[in-house]
Amino acid sequence: MARTDRPTANERSFLTHAQQLEKRPPCQVGCPNSGDVRGWLGIIAQRRKHGLSLEQAYNEAWEQLVELNPFPATIGRICPHPCESRCTRAGKDGAVAINDLERFLGDWAIEHELALRHSRDRRCVESIGVIGSGPAGLSFAYQMARRGYRVTVYEKNAVPGGMLRHAIPDYRLPRRIVEAEIQRVFDLGVSLQSGVNLSEDMQNLRERHSLLFLGLGAQKPRRLGIPGDSLAGVFSGIDYLARRKHGETTGLGASVLVIGGGNTAIDAARTARRDGAEVTLLYRRSRQEMPAASTEVDDAIDEGVRFLFLVAPTEVVGDGKKVSGLEYQYMRLGPPDNQGRRQPMPVKGETGHLAADSIIVAISQQPDWHDDGWLKTREDGRLANDIWAGGDDTGPGIASRAVAQGRVAAEGAHAQLRGETPFDTAPVAGDVDPVKVRTDFYDEQSRNAHARLRPEERLDRPDEEVDRTIDARQASEEATRCMSCGLCFDCRQCVMYCNAGGFSRLENTTTGHYFELALDVCEGCGKCVELCPCGYLTARQDSG
Amino acid sequence: MGSAHGSFQQLATGPDSAKTLRDGSRIAVVGAGPSGSMFSYFLLNMAKATSLQLQVDLFEPRRFCHRGPAGCNHCGGVISESLVQRLATEGIVLPDEVVQRGIESYTLHMDIGDVEIRTPLEERRIAAVYRGNGPRDSEPLDSESFDGYLQRLAMEKGANLVHRLVTDVSHDGDRMRLECADGFHDEYELVVLASGINSRLAEDLEKRAGGFRKPAPTKAFICEFKLGREVIRESLGPSMHVFLLDIPRLEFAALIPKGEYTTLALLGDDIDEELMERFFTSPEVKNCFPGGQIPDHVCHCYPRMNIDGAKPPYADRMVLIGDCGTTRLFKDGIGAAYRAAKAAARTAVFHGVAAEDFEAHYWPVCRNVQVDNRFGKLLFAVAGLIQKARFARRGVLRMAITEQQHPGKPKRMSGVLWDLFSGSARYREVFMRTLHPAYIKDLVWNLVAGNFGRPRPSAVERRHGTH
Repeated sequence: MARTDRPTANERSFLTHAQQLEKRPPCQVGCPNSGDVRGWLGIIAQRRKHGLSLEQAYNEAWEQLVELNPFPATIGRICPHPCESRCTRAGKDGAVAINDLERFLGDWAIEHELALRHSRDRRCVESIGVIGSGPAGLSFAYQMARRGYRVTVYEKNAVPGGMLRHAIPDYRLPRRIVEAEIQRVFDLGVSLQSGVNLSEDMQNLRERHSLLFLGLGAQKPRRLGIPGDSLAGVFSGIDYLARRKHGETTGLGASVLVIGGGNTAIDAARTARRDGAEVTLLYRRSRQEMPAASTEVDDAIDEGVRFLFLVAPTEVVGDGKKVSGLEYQYMRLGPPDNQGRRQPMPVKGETGHLAADSIIVAISQQPDWHDDGWLKTREDGRLANDIWAGGDDTGPGIASRAVAQGRVAAEGAHAQLRGETPFDTAPVAGDVDPVKVRTDFYDEQSRNAHARLRPEERLDRPDEEVDRTIDARQASEEATRCMSCGLCFDCRQCVMYCNAGGFSRLENTTTGHYFELALDVCEGCGKCVELCPCGYLTARQDSG
Repeated sequence: MGSAHGSFQQLATGPDSAKTLRDGSRIAVVGAGPSGSMFSYFLLNMAKATSLQLQVDLFEPRRFCHRGPAGCNHCGGVISESLVQRLATEGIVLPDEVVQRGIESYTLHMDIGDVEIRTPLEERRIAAVYRGNGPRDSEPLDSESFDGYLQRLAMEKGANLVHRLVTDVSHDGDRMRLECADGFHDEYELVVLASGINSRLAEDLEKRAGGFRKPAPTKAFICEFKLGREVIRESLGPSMHVFLLDIPRLEFAALIPKGEYTTLALLGDDIDEELMERFFTSPEVKNCFPGGQIPDHVCHCYPRMNIDGAKPPYADRMVLIGDCGTTRLFKDGIGAAYRAAKAAARTAVFHGVAAEDFEAHYWPVCRNVQVDNRFGKLLFAVAGLIQKARFARRGVLRMAITEQQHPGKPKRMSGVLWDLFSGSARYREVFMRTLHPAYIKDLVWNLVAGNFGRPRPSAVERRHGTH
């Protein structure tokens, strides 16, 4: 440690030489689709630096967003947004409302009839078949079609969209929004063959197309497996939601029990409330363990859904034809399983009974096209050279994960067809260390909340959206709350305070790129690294 | 200062309306270092005394609560007692948490020996402060930063702290337009530049406006050593250690103890690595550290110092104060900031904010400092000659030691050295004292005795006895 007679270059471990190093922000780490949130927010927040009007900025931000996700209006409504829970701003004055902004841009694009574009790189001519038109299949179709491939989508239902179109209630995701975003994908030149079930005819399809993508979903509801579970009046969650979504009468009756703790169970319970029923939801663990989004559970409670935790159904009671009630067993939480979730254990002798006109079972779904369970693909979605897959047929997950799997598979399939290695989009410098973001540099600015229907209004207007889209002013304000973790946003502290004048402005600045750093004049004080609020400037490894 | 707005001089001839501050006038102060904060403080005080309602926006993007260079304001952090007293009369009472350690003496180190010069008067102490929140990687200070403290005072007076980086100042009609890095812009009746010399704002201004010259900088070096309180008490004591060494271009070097740390400041003409190596390898320096070993420092920077003021330091509706305007050479920058801040505030409240007002009432203060700096340059040139001449060093050392050993004796040399090191007196006054016949007589005698007679023992106990 001590300096001897002549300090040599090696001994000067105290010097801090800076470098400009883009890092992956926490929102992107949290996003299943690795969405470049900072990138599209930056276009809006930094628009004045590049002479963009607000309108131009929204257009450009949407274009950036749809590079990875062609359904922002849809995902902006239904995603549980893990991006926001990681947002650095969450620890200060509330996470940036990323989901609201995504939704806003999606709606903006629908309203302004923005079209998806073909990418500029070379046109590819191979014929591609996509089986299933849920978020995974359409995401794959979009990514291939924009690269110029000839894509045909096969769908067993009359209209495309999968779970987005057939299961998610209108009060969360209106039909016109999904339809508009799906139509844009087909506008790229994708052809649709609907009403065909081709999963049996794989060989034929393999011959017809250079490459196939399986986005089959998992539509087979799991049954309760207890006496009486096939009585009339026992519905599966997704069947009930699909019938409701298609405007069929469901005839639930006045008293409904919903079994399950996931989002489908909550959707079914809230929809049944809108059908006028008294609803009780039964879950075998406690609220903490519920896989459903916590805000959805709150909404269900506000809308009058009753919850019964730590109970497991033992028998559906009926008159031999029609349901009349449910016998259940009280449970307690035992030790955690290998995934860390505490297992429910029966409490001996503690049972109960509830009368019901119908029972909705929403305890997860399985693939319904073969009996081997989930498809086991490589990480990039490859099953065989010419067969790729993604979405719920590889295991249940949220919609943005399905979109991600379709995209990643498309990138892999495209690289394979072109004989290239897939392009790795992750920055080499790794993730932003949240500690390095100087949150106190940024002024307090509270989160823009979106408007919502009051609980009493919701039941009166059952198909009306509960959550509203933020307006253009809120969106531009909210975008400026982004701290731009890990990428320059032109705060100019480094350039203003570098004693040596080491930073100079680039001639052509772009979002996130404003300065260059001349290392030969750097005096190694490290002030810029410590001033840089977003963690973009980093000490070089060689400077210790 | 966009080119569209013409030259800096032309700024001074805007439309012929009364350029005075009125009720509701808005003032932007760019930079919340000591000069910016003190200006805001004085301005609001004076406005209140004259029942004038002013709105002061104090722009500062940095946070002085940050440790290390990010929250620091690059200086040795030495404040003379006379300034501490002066500030106290203005209502700025430095609390104990701001002062790192009361410095009771200066120890002058030369190759021929050392001398400890105690405070000339009992109460004349030196305060050592941290301008930010202490060195990099230090424990969060239980003490408050000096700059943070002044900033808080300004806010208590009603200044509105704006966490934005100002990137441009220009004339817009008869108002000043201010632009920030984040796109924010606003208009003000008066802009006060207090952005220091380590910000690029003055440089950018010079590039964009003809007829304005930014202050001339030179490169200094400041670093922090973590030695611990015990070690500091042992090896440095409550004394600031000053080195008069024969190293070209080095004008002044000092070790300033502050709590767990000690600050090293090297001032001169473009301090570079070669100069630093010569400094660090000289035995006088090494002997101040335990075991004669200089540890790695935890934090360093090469701050720029103002060696010639901005010209002119004012325009219509604009005034430059502190280090981006005119300051004292090498020493007492905070004292100079205080005087400039007060003069500028007084001009703005009682006279007006036109260029002529600042020329008549603010410029004389700057000019005095600039004249005094010429004496300073002369004094440091003489000190440089003494550094080079061993026989001169012997005379100076002998005279100072003799004075320190005889309490009743006039402290002629001690006083000159003290004031030169602390900046507590004007350079002109110090220079005049060296022309006093008694001083010259004593010095000549000591030159003779020191070089040809029996040398007196060192006034400082060798703490490590390494030579």
